[in-house]
Amino acid sequence: MDAIEATELTKDFGSTQALRGASFTVKEHEIFGLIGPNGAGKTTTLRILSTLISASSGRAQVFGYDVARQPEKVREILSYLPEDAGAYQMLTGMEFLEFMAGFYSRDRAGTRSIVEEGEKISGLGDRLNDRVNGYSKGMKRRLLIARALMMKPKLAILDEPTSGLDVIQSVHVRNMIREYADHQGVTVLLSSHNMLEVEYLCGRVALISGGVVMAEGTPDALKERYGAKNLEEVFMEVTKSE
Amino acid sequence: MNNLWAIVVKEVKELVRDPKILIGVVLMPIIIFPIMGAAIQISQESVERAIMGASFAVYTDDEGFVTDALLSYLYTNNTVVPIDAGSLEDALGAFKATDSSALIYIPHGYHTNITLGQKGVLRVYANLRSLNMAETQSTNVVTSLISVYNYYFSISKIRNLLTQTGSMGTPEAVRNPIEVHYASILKGNVLDIPPNAIFSLVMGQSIMLPIMVMMMVVFAIQMAATSIALEKEQKTLETLMTLPVSRLTILAGKLSGSIVIALAGSVSYLIGFGFYMNSAFSFVPQATTMNIDDVGVGITPLGLVLVGVVIFVTLVSALAMALSVAVFADNVRSAQSFTGALITPIMIPAVVLMFSDIEMLPQTVQWLLLIIPYTHSIIATKAAFLANYVVVIRSILFISVWTFVVLYVAAKIFSTERIITARFTFGDLGKRFRRKRPPAVNR
Repeated sequence: MDAIEATELTKDFGSTQALRGASFTVKEHEIFGLIGPNGAGKTTTLRILSTLISASSGRAQVFGYDVARQPEKVREILSYLPEDAGAYQMLTGMEFLEFMAGFYSRDRAGTRSIVEEGEKISGLGDRLNDRVNGYSKGMKRRLLIARALMMKPKLAILDEPTSGLDVIQSVHVRNMIREYADHQGVTVLLSSHNMLEVEYLCGRVALISGGVVMAEGTPDALKERYGAKNLEEVFMEVTKSE
Repeated sequence: MNNLWAIVVKEVKELVRDPKILIGVVLMPIIIFPIMGAAIQISQESVERAIMGASFAVYTDDEGFVTDALLSYLYTNNTVVPIDAGSLEDALGAFKATDSSALIYIPHGYHTNITLGQKGVLRVYANLRSLNMAETQSTNVVTSLISVYNYYFSISKIRNLLTQTGSMGTPEAVRNPIEVHYASILKGNVLDIPPNAIFSLVMGQSIMLPIMVMMMVVFAIQMAATSIALEKEQKTLETLMTLPVSRLTILAGKLSGSIVIALAGSVSYLIGFGFYMNSAFSFVPQATTMNIDDVGVGITPLGLVLVGVVIFVTLVSALAMALSVAVFADNVRSAQSFTGALITPIMIPAVVLMFSDIEMLPQTVQWLLLIIPYTHSIIATKAAFLANYVVVIRSILFISVWTFVVLYVAAKIFSTERIITARFTFGDLGKRFRRKRPPAVNR
């Protein structure tokens, strides 16, 4: 079964068409990259798949569940990290993780186990006992990545996961994403402007521009198709033809 | 239930730990009101001390035993500054140099006029140096002294006249031929108590209760709007909305969390206001030793339960309305502006009905007020106090219908993408009038 099956998705905001028939599939356990210029429709696509907004037309399924008709089922197996997500400023990092973990476990032991996973992913140590309003941007992002992965969701949708992080923290986050995809059975759909990151992490990539998917395949296949040395050149070629 | 509890706890922690809310809503009333009360008390006590220690000056231009009798009365048990001068002008000059705030001037002819059965004239000069309360009170002390003297002097003169003419009756009856005894009929019972006394006794509670309800509603609206705006400002709303928890649970959690803080704010307000009233009016002597139970006006257990229901439905509808409106705000500041628009129609009936009943108002105003659902909250709390339960239940039904409507709207907003995409600024309003333009979206 495909983890995500998006078919001819469109989304209108008034007279603005954010998506104009985007289609792609994501296989189970893979890390799939959604790349494209600003305003291409990436965030809209991720929001539709996360059940936050509904498509104007087309269909999207997550592990066989229709996102429009069965949003509750989708939310049980999905974890979404928005690009500019924040955490509750007045809670401590630990309280934030405990609050979030509580929705994925029915008992204390289960919640504790999820939180321990979160502590490990965040790497924040004792700073988890501090309130979030004292965290740096990087610390917040690590906390949010931990929140998104700690419950080992079947599908993690990560919008710019390393946005605002320095090199060391970015590497830590990338390693965590790979670890959870390779060994914990988490399928990852991520969007990023960092082509190196996409090339390093993603097994397959979809290039979206103007609300439609222009190209889809493995990074190597895309490079070969466009005669490019790297994904950046592929990106430039695709967006130029648009 | 666990999910709901988790959201409520999170809401309370978020709101209580925010210094703006903790200080502004919970701590301020309990600190500010007692400070205000203490300030008024200190100022009142200073005035009292000033009055008690106050002296007045006396200057006489007259002679005779009637004048001597008045002087003797004034000098007994009072601190009098005698003014010795050749003319009134000099006397006033000397008076201005003293600490006294009042001068009693007995003009020439006072004795003669009174002995001839005419009015004796006195003149009181008040020296208003700084126009404070103590100065006017000093004049009042002098006025009271003269008024007491005037009363007994007139009684004495009437008694002499009655004796001389051999007429019947008492001097008091001749002076005041009519005496009025007041009584009140309350809830069908005739009570030998003046209506003013009952009103002042009942007013405290019948007015305080609606005010408390309104204060709680206002606090709750601010809390709910802040709560949803904080989610938007901190960019946590999208994450919250993708959690495996129903949107209605999120809505209920936010409503409950706001109610908890609103209750804390209201209790703090009541305690603070209680201190304020006790301190600020501690100088006012108790007008009556009546107990509220003596006059049979008190809220019954049934009335109390109904008031609880009124408060609950009022709060829920106000909160649901605040959440629905705050969804359109980008940040806490915008949300606070939006709530300003909500609070106004709530405060108008509270203020208008504080001092009058709805029936006393002109017909048009009555209808305008009755359209506002929160008018019925005030009417219900006042009616509960007077055990008019039909009115209370009618109001509860009206508010409940409104509450269901508002909750339905809030639930709709929460269960659709509007909660994520809805945006409104006052700037949009201007643009809408200028030209139609598609909304900006983050693609």
